[in-house]
Amino acid sequence: MRSKRFEVLAKRPVNQDGIIAEWPEVGLIAVNSPNDPKPSIKIENGKIVEMDGKKREEFDMIEQFIADYAINIEMAEKAMGMDSLEIARMLVDINVPREEIVKIVSGLTPAKVVEVVNHLNVVEIMMAIQKMRAKKRPGSQAHVTNLRDNPVLIAADAAEAALRGFDELETTVGITRYAPFNALALLVGSQTGRGGVLTQDALEESFELTIGMRGFTSYAETISVYGTEQVFVDGDDTPWSKAFLASAYASRGLKMRFTSGTGSECQMGFAEGKSMLYLEARCVMIAKGAGVQGLQNGSISCIGVPGAVPGGIRAVAAENLITMMEDLEVASGNDQTFSHSDIRRTARTLLLMLPGTDLIFSGYSAVPNYDNMFAGSNFDAEDFDDYLMLQRDLMVEGGVSPVTEDEVIAVRNKAARALQSVFKKLNLPPITDEEVEAATYAHGSKDMPPRDVNADLKAATELMEKGLTGLDVVKALAESGFTDVAENVLNMLKQRIAGDYLQTSAVLDKDFNIDSAVNNSNDYKGPGTGFRLSKERWERIKNVPQALKPEDLA
Amino acid sequence: MIDEKTLEIIVREVLTNLTSDKGTQNQQKTASSSLPKLDPKRDYPLAKNKPELAKSITGKTINEITLQAVREGKVLPDDLKISPETLLAQAEIAEAAGRKQLANNFRRAAELTKVPDKRILEIYNALRPYRSTKEELLAIADELDNAYGAKVCAAFVREAAEVYERRGRLKGME
Repeated sequence: MRSKRFEVLAKRPVNQDGIIAEWPEVGLIAVNSPNDPKPSIKIENGKIVEMDGKKREEFDMIEQFIADYAINIEMAEKAMGMDSLEIARMLVDINVPREEIVKIVSGLTPAKVVEVVNHLNVVEIMMAIQKMRAKKRPGSQAHVTNLRDNPVLIAADAAEAALRGFDELETTVGITRYAPFNALALLVGSQTGRGGVLTQDALEESFELTIGMRGFTSYAETISVYGTEQVFVDGDDTPWSKAFLASAYASRGLKMRFTSGTGSECQMGFAEGKSMLYLEARCVMIAKGAGVQGLQNGSISCIGVPGAVPGGIRAVAAENLITMMEDLEVASGNDQTFSHSDIRRTARTLLLMLPGTDLIFSGYSAVPNYDNMFAGSNFDAEDFDDYLMLQRDLMVEGGVSPVTEDEVIAVRNKAARALQSVFKKLNLPPITDEEVEAATYAHGSKDMPPRDVNADLKAATELMEKGLTGLDVVKALAESGFTDVAENVLNMLKQRIAGDYLQTSAVLDKDFNIDSAVNNSNDYKGPGTGFRLSKERWERIKNVPQALKPEDLA
Repeated sequence: MIDEKTLEIIVREVLTNLTSDKGTQNQQKTASSSLPKLDPKRDYPLAKNKPELAKSITGKTINEITLQAVREGKVLPDDLKISPETLLAQAEIAEAAGRKQLANNFRRAAELTKVPDKRILEIYNALRPYRSTKEELLAIADELDNAYGAKVCAAFVREAAEVYERRGRLKGME
């Protein structure tokens, strides 16, 4: 006979989650695999000849790349000679400034940096994140996609997400050939909602760069790197090809970061029996060596893997911390759905939301779960008010602002009309008034009338063939009377010749002022320092529209 | 691996090449005026504090690109491509902020500003695993070196050729 208690428990959402015991041989272990190497370094004639127990002749591509590009030789012997526990304590000591730790970490090998963070419990990881984040102000990124790649809806959702305060917006496609339209709709929509929001379109590497070169996007992040050579090669790249790609982006004035995450090597079948966190530390150091300004990590699309093993979610926060210790911008995941349990998904996000990261989500789904083409997100459009309440309850900056229904409707309508005009001017398949109306009030793509997909795809291909660029979009907007949106799109294009937003953790405010780790670096040194909610910002966060006010009750 | 000193020498050489290639006195003046060390605190962001350094590959500064100019057709796509000088200035700022690797990425990028879009994509694809023979990679390195003066990138591709050979990642080795 079954226990009624256990029957009830069996039906709880958490018991729909797949969880698994540790299995080190295949890499199903968050930290401390028996196969993880022990930290070591040997330098001869200014060259690393041994790292983490391996001789230079035996280095795989990743090890050679890290040894030659990521590790600061001048610091290496001193830093590697330090006790890991001592460095771990420095991470949570308010009397040790961030810069000092960054300097020490610059000389550490992957095994050593992992040994350091393995000394921290989860609260200490959060304390360290608060101090080690590169930029002072935390922010967030949103996903804007839909099941049908409907461009009108993308524009409206982008405008709303921008209004809600996200610093960056990311789209991707259901059908690849829709990519130029998705990027165009995201650009026009975002710049209608708030000038200065950065946008990207996650695509195959070469195509993504092409779209960026055309001026339809301002940054890229889905440039994946992996922690074992075999998985890297199976991903059709090498550290050298990815580093070249990084320079290619910068050469066109486009911001970019790499992507990696615990669990990817295990999921792709070649973890070499190493722990997820050790392999991820290698990824972070590949990013550092390539000279990209930042990294999206926090398991990302493999979150189901660390999420299933003991200590996995702690390790995911630890990988974000390692990224900050390596002085890189971090877009800290919290994206792909990993649990049926609202309790688990909230706990997972609090680890990053409370201390704050450059981009807490990468991204928050600004659309309903069914429209999220990145396999869902940990928080969706349906969770907006819950998230705002977390900010209000805990008095924390989560990068999202309360908005009113009226202002959302207005900005969605304007974005849909702006895109309608751009389509008209550029001779793309027409956007009807009915579509504008539907996008204004829609929750998701189920609320939209169908479009002629074949005509859209044909036109999207022609748009690329004809060589249209962001400048054509600016002209189309200006000629249609959307002068403010045209100015904003042009200002986005101008960023690429200044290059200021190529620096670490750079985003833009509504007046196109740069906010980065260079001019606004994190100076946390304990209570009363670092990022604090300003009086104005707290007023904004606490005033959610649904709160009863004394005058409502009188 | 390229050590820091060699890199610095190469970058200086490239900078000289770039300015002498264009030849006009005006551009030489701009390049040499960027030589005094930039201070991140004082000069960053460039668009605001040193707008004369924020310019396109065609020589247009950021303040010359206005909506009016776009509407009159006076702004072309190339006017929105970053100049090597601006990238080298950003490299200096990154370096001064303690970010050597980021600075070196900007220096490689400065070299690549001269390489056409299509060719950049082709070179990236050629660097992917099992795509090229060693000779093909070395030919790309020579091209970067000779046709574009991209010395740091050329050395980087030569290094890749060596690594791919050692690790069996060249064409035909799969």
